[in-house]
Amino acid sequence: MKTINSICIIDDDPITVFGIRKILESVVRCNTIDTFANGQLAINEMKNRVATVQPLPEVIFLDINMPIMDGWQFLEEFIRLPIKKGIRVNIVTSSIDTADYDRWISYKSQTHHTITYNNKPLRKENLAEITTAA
Amino acid sequence: MLQRSTFHTDNYLIKQLPQAIVFIDMKENIILASDKWVTDFSPLAESCIGMSITHLFSHHNKDWQKVLQKCLKGEPGQPRVGSYLDNTGNEKWIELLKTAWHDDKENVVGWIIQSEKVSQRMHNEVQLDKFHMLSNEMSDIAKIGLWEYRFADDELNWSEMTKIIHEVPLDYIPNLEKATNFYKSGHSRNTLAMTVQKSINDQTAWSEKLQLITAKGNEIWVIISGKPINVNGEFTGLIGTIQNINSLTLSEIKTRENEYQLKTLIDNLPLNIFIKDLDSRKILVNKSEMKYCGATKESEILGKDDFELYDYESAKISRNEDLKVIKTLKPMLRQETESFKKDGTKTVFLTSKIPLVNRDGSAYGLVGISIDISELKQKEKELEALISVASLQNEKLINFAHIVSHNLRSHTANFSMLLDLLTNEKDETEKQKIIGMLTNSSDNLLETLDNLNEVVDISSKTGLVKKSINLNKEITSAKQNLTTKFTEHQVKLINKIDSKVTVKVIPAYLESILMNFLTNAIKYRSPKRKPIIKLNAISNDGYTVLSIQDNGLGIDLKKYGDKLFGMYKTFHDSEDARGIGLYITKNQIEAMNGKVSVESKVDQGTTFKIYFNEND
Repeated sequence: MKTINSICIIDDDPITVFGIRKILESVVRCNTIDTFANGQLAINEMKNRVATVQPLPEVIFLDINMPIMDGWQFLEEFIRLPIKKGIRVNIVTSSIDTADYDRWISYKSQTHHTITYNNKPLRKENLAEITTAA
Repeated sequence: MLQRSTFHTDNYLIKQLPQAIVFIDMKENIILASDKWVTDFSPLAESCIGMSITHLFSHHNKDWQKVLQKCLKGEPGQPRVGSYLDNTGNEKWIELLKTAWHDDKENVVGWIIQSEKVSQRMHNEVQLDKFHMLSNEMSDIAKIGLWEYRFADDELNWSEMTKIIHEVPLDYIPNLEKATNFYKSGHSRNTLAMTVQKSINDQTAWSEKLQLITAKGNEIWVIISGKPINVNGEFTGLIGTIQNINSLTLSEIKTRENEYQLKTLIDNLPLNIFIKDLDSRKILVNKSEMKYCGATKESEILGKDDFELYDYESAKISRNEDLKVIKTLKPMLRQETESFKKDGTKTVFLTSKIPLVNRDGSAYGLVGISIDISELKQKEKELEALISVASLQNEKLINFAHIVSHNLRSHTANFSMLLDLLTNEKDETEKQKIIGMLTNSSDNLLETLDNLNEVVDISSKTGLVKKSINLNKEITSAKQNLTTKFTEHQVKLINKIDSKVTVKVIPAYLESILMNFLTNAIKYRSPKRKPIIKLNAISNDGYTVLSIQDNGLGIDLKKYGDKLFGMYKTFHDSEDARGIGLYITKNQIEAMNGKVSVESKVDQGTTFKIYFNEND
């Protein structure tokens, strides 16, 4: 079983958060799993860690539809943070809107971070595959 | 000897004859010549006796010599006419006549040739011929015939052309009665008979345009004129002309018919047609244009320019168009123009202006054709509005489809995931936890379905009847329903709405809208201050605009403006934010043909403006 130092889940739906946590337990060894109920809380934390030189998560699970700050707004700010190391951002969404898919393609090409696009529900096999350091 | 003496006497007599005569023998040598002959052909003939007459004229032109030879060799008694140029260069016309010269025993001993200058006569004859020819040509070209009526013998004479006009043979002999009967019975014949009678009585000249039927039965138009003849003060008859003007008259009638057809056509076209001169004055208008200008007679419009007929601005635009067309000679085609009459009535025209060009290439006016497209424009506007409604509906439908699929998908995805986890879970407490989540998820799905149902309800019940309702009454009732909240949070409500203001609404929707906005104003109050809600209503362009202003948290419209009224969008970290209220409210407002706008500043407050449509 591989080991990931730090994982971060950004989703306002407690059931999804519970699900992801549950599956992660069975596929990786992880020291810390942080969860944020919206993009605003998450980006604040990321900025804080960059500023105070604390370790950043290696893998981020990101929902799109969230109150206050949605997934896209989070990505917009996140890719502009001065982070040298490539971080894996797994977008997890129930959206089947092609506009969302196109935005992912656009963000993917703008950054050195690894960004993937995943439809809900997440299965154990998928999760194992996308939970790996970028 | 006697013979000789007689000859001498004769010789002397001949010399003195006043005519130019020459005697030649059978060998054509000149024996005798009268002094007149010698003078006439001087200086050649001065010592001509004994000379050959042919030799004498051997230096004259060939034609003259030919005529001379014809005379000498030809039958006697036949006059021959020829001409030669004399030594001064004048052409001389001479008539030669040969007769036999007999001796006393009646033997022909020679020829006597008489010559006569005919220059003047010839000239006159040629002139007369020319004159005849000219007058024939003239009468032929103009088809003018002559006629003359003499009282003395009651005789009517017709010239050749007159006969041709009547289509009678050239040997036809007319008389007054026959001539009169050629005229078409009725107006033409009566007019002619009366006119001729009057002319005879009063000695007056006249001219009439009449119809006659020719001998061959052709009906033609003629102009017949006559005037009295006076010989030495005595009235002797009438002389006159007759001219076939049939083709002229027929083409005149044809032209008039064409003109009439054209006029009928332009009068009945559903277009305004006019012709203007260089000063933009109307010189021709059709019925439609007259009707548009509110005139009953052409004379009310003709000669007037646009400044006299239309509002100043419209006239100025029109005049500039005219000037451009006249100057460039390029037609203005299908230009959409708005025209205002003096009374302010607006008409939208599609106008074309085409220059009228002289032979010298300069414009002398223009033809205008306008079609009233006001109704078309109105229809176009209605259609545009309809399309905009349709596309708005379509957009809403797509949006709604996305919402439905997204919300249902997110719940089913949760079910699927939880069931997956449940299957693999061995720990009993964990299993119970998952089942609890499944139940929770199922409840959420039911609630979502209820919300969606509510939205569908609003969108589908467009047929609900709107009523005029007093706005303040509804606000009071909403306030009563929210009494608990108002008291709990010490809300101050400032209502500046006039007590008479009414709105045309579906009552249930208005109630829901007011409740929602008021609840929101309280829900998103600022923790720093006591909530104040200000209400006002104004009338604006067919809408009654209700503004609801709070002093709450406010919202960053740059970030969330486009999502504010979206479904399941929440913007505050508030426990009971469901993200459905504004979505439903907006749908209800739009279902009543209204609209909603928002202004907000973070940490200062938000103002919603609700536009209630007063017309439909």
